[in-house]
Amino acid sequence: MDQAQRRRLLIVVILAAVWMTAVLVRLAYLQLFCYREYLSRARRQQQHVVEVAPRRGEIYDRNMRPLAMSIPVDSCFAVPSEISDQELAARLLSGVLGIPRENIAARLASSRSFAWIARKLPPEKAQAIAVLGLKGIYFQKESQRFYPKRELAAHVLGYVDIDGNGLGGIEYQLDSQMHGKPGRMLVLEDARRRWFASSEQTADAGANAVLTLDEKIQYIAEKELIATVERTHALAGTVIVGNPNDGEIYAMANWPRFNPNAAGESPAEARMNRAISALYEPGSTFKLITLSAAFEERVTRPDEVFDCQNGAVYIAGHRIRDHKPFGLLTVAGILAHSSDVGAIEIALRLGAPKFYEHIRAFGFGAPTGVDLPGESKGLLRPLENWTPVSAGSISMGQEIGVTPIQLLSAVSAIANGGLLYRPHVVKELRRGGQILTPDGARPVSEPQRVLRPQTAATLRHLMEGVILDGTGKLARLDGWTAAGKTGTAQKIDPTTGRYSRSQLIASFTGFAPLNQPAVAIIVSLDSPVGPHEGGQVAAPVFKRVAEQTLAYLDVPRDVPLGPAVEGAALRRRAADASVEDLADFSPADPETEAQLGNQETAVHGSYEQKENAAVATVAVGDEGGVPAPALTGKTMREVTMECLRLGLQPVLVGTGIALEQSPAAGAAVHPGSKITIRFGSLAANRGRSRTRQ
Amino acid sequence: MPKPQTRKTEFRTVKRIDNSRLVRVLEPSRLRELAYLTMLGTVCLCVALCYAWQHFHCIQLGYELQDLKARQAQALTLNSELRLEIADLRNPGRIDRIARVQLGLTEPVPGQVEFVSGPGGAEVAAYRIPKAPALLGPARLPDGQAGSSQ
Repeated sequence: MDQAQRRRLLIVVILAAVWMTAVLVRLAYLQLFCYREYLSRARRQQQHVVEVAPRRGEIYDRNMRPLAMSIPVDSCFAVPSEISDQELAARLLSGVLGIPRENIAARLASSRSFAWIARKLPPEKAQAIAVLGLKGIYFQKESQRFYPKRELAAHVLGYVDIDGNGLGGIEYQLDSQMHGKPGRMLVLEDARRRWFASSEQTADAGANAVLTLDEKIQYIAEKELIATVERTHALAGTVIVGNPNDGEIYAMANWPRFNPNAAGESPAEARMNRAISALYEPGSTFKLITLSAAFEERVTRPDEVFDCQNGAVYIAGHRIRDHKPFGLLTVAGILAHSSDVGAIEIALRLGAPKFYEHIRAFGFGAPTGVDLPGESKGLLRPLENWTPVSAGSISMGQEIGVTPIQLLSAVSAIANGGLLYRPHVVKELRRGGQILTPDGARPVSEPQRVLRPQTAATLRHLMEGVILDGTGKLARLDGWTAAGKTGTAQKIDPTTGRYSRSQLIASFTGFAPLNQPAVAIIVSLDSPVGPHEGGQVAAPVFKRVAEQTLAYLDVPRDVPLGPAVEGAALRRRAADASVEDLADFSPADPETEAQLGNQETAVHGSYEQKENAAVATVAVGDEGGVPAPALTGKTMREVTMECLRLGLQPVLVGTGIALEQSPAAGAAVHPGSKITIRFGSLAANRGRSRTRQ
Repeated sequence: MPKPQTRKTEFRTVKRIDNSRLVRVLEPSRLRELAYLTMLGTVCLCVALCYAWQHFHCIQLGYELQDLKARQAQALTLNSELRLEIADLRNPGRIDRIARVQLGLTEPVPGQVEFVSGPGGAEVAAYRIPKAPALLGPARLPDGQAGSSQ
């Protein structure tokens, strides 16, 4: 190699070295000095942190039937800086969402980094937007709250806002525990925005709330309340059904009501839970408290006779008239006939301090502590502010404001033998199989004794008299004993400031059965039109709710059912049967409406025929069916064939030869009804018969 | 007077090299070294290829995993929707309406419903599995399986 060649080689080597050095220097510069900047830039392009919305806890009734559920749905948002043609994007999105184009354009122009386009979209709309494939348009999963039973127990459940925050009822009360904590998901995506890796910090699901409500009882209460409100044209109404033995609330129905799925569309008064927040003067139902205090202080006896002064009494110069002139009445009679004068005389004998003390002991003038927001404590003036008339007025339920839940608690105490329980609707909170202690509700404390058992027993007996012989005859149950008290209170007319003669609160409160109460019920109707006495409009609601609830709870009947009772019930049903009555409940169920709409005419036509015909629910003691076949001694195949021939549904128990059947052979049964047949071996049956003998 | 130039004679000799008789001696150590290097290179190449394959396979699995996660989320959402639909269909108001309007049912009057007290579970089981005498051999169970009677 000559010198020239060496020189050329040297130049190449130097150039290569310089180039390599430059590359290395640049590499070192990028790696060492620009590391952070490029790393963050890469992360911005490749990584996304997606917030995982927590699943809000569900709400169940006492039998784990869902009352409120959450479903993940897509919300659409935009990163406006990534959208090249915002006008075009706004126009396309407007066509899919049905939102004015200007609104979407304004949202896109409002921010460069983030703008909601539409939240909680239906799946089909989210899909339609995704198909557009617009750059800079993204989806975020959010939790949408649904109330599948719609208006059912809406005031207890409450509702949530668009961000999932509880705004009323249980949703508000237990919001902190039901809301859950959001999680975060780190996502790596490629150039085509496909996710290829993710690491997730899981969201903490909210706790599920199990209520003491029973969906079926709640429905019974709401159905009867609505039917009565429609019949009486009352402005508002409340029915509460509870267990007097532990303070559990089975049902809390209010009218007017609202659909929590669209709570914003209802007026504020429809969202008010009147059962716990509506104050009213209880009227004659408060005489129970008056008599409780009197018996507890032993100032009178049930058989003591009072002079009711032919319907008027003077207290401190004020003349108070009875609703009807009474002469001599026993204490039992005073309660049964709801004599105001008699109650006033008892209260005056008791004295204001002791009366006040007992009123407070029953929990009036203070919140009951029910685990729902917005409870009113009632209105009870301090003793020092009482006028000479106060004791008399309060003894008959005036000059005092109570809530239905307060009165129900007090009546429950009488029913259970004198223990005052805190009413509650939250049974437990569950998270992942663990039972939690609700933060928003006080633990169920020990009950307070407010009455001696003897006093409670005496009152129960007197309250039974109200239903048997007094003002609450329409509350008498078919098959169960019951006790209760009617109440009719005048409302204050806001224009005159005096008691209104036309605006009344009709109420009834009671419990059943008498000796082992299973349910305590209060019914309150605000300003019914037409018949307006508690015994006329509220007592029948108590009867219907109590009968259906006791039957549903399978409470044994303690009054034998005779043919007269059954016949009367049948006649009542025939009289009540009308198209309007059958369509008394019209849930906002568009699907059902659509399904049933086509059948409306046909059903209506058959309706008139069925109006006086037999009912197909059961096949006992009814006319119009076919006689049940004699199946005893037949084989299973023969029994099945015979039943199918007659259109009956056989329920086969055991194997072998048919030994017994129900209904018995010859009893009227309707096609489609069930007939139960027990099978076995004849020898074994003979042996069993001999053993029984 | 110029000197007369003398002529120089140049001789070129061509040395012919004949290496045909030379035989390269194989050095075992060098061969081993070469083999090791080749193996090492192969291993390194395999490791590199394996790493690259794993890397890309991992990414591919990541895609599949994300796809499965998406499907799982869809299934969970569908499950929630179906549960919601069930709850909706079990709305007492809806059932009551269908019972009254579609089926023409009404509430039973007192005494119209009789609760049939069926035999207890043990009694039903006793009927279902008749006790055959031991002498008759295995009893025949209702589902057709043979069982030994004790």
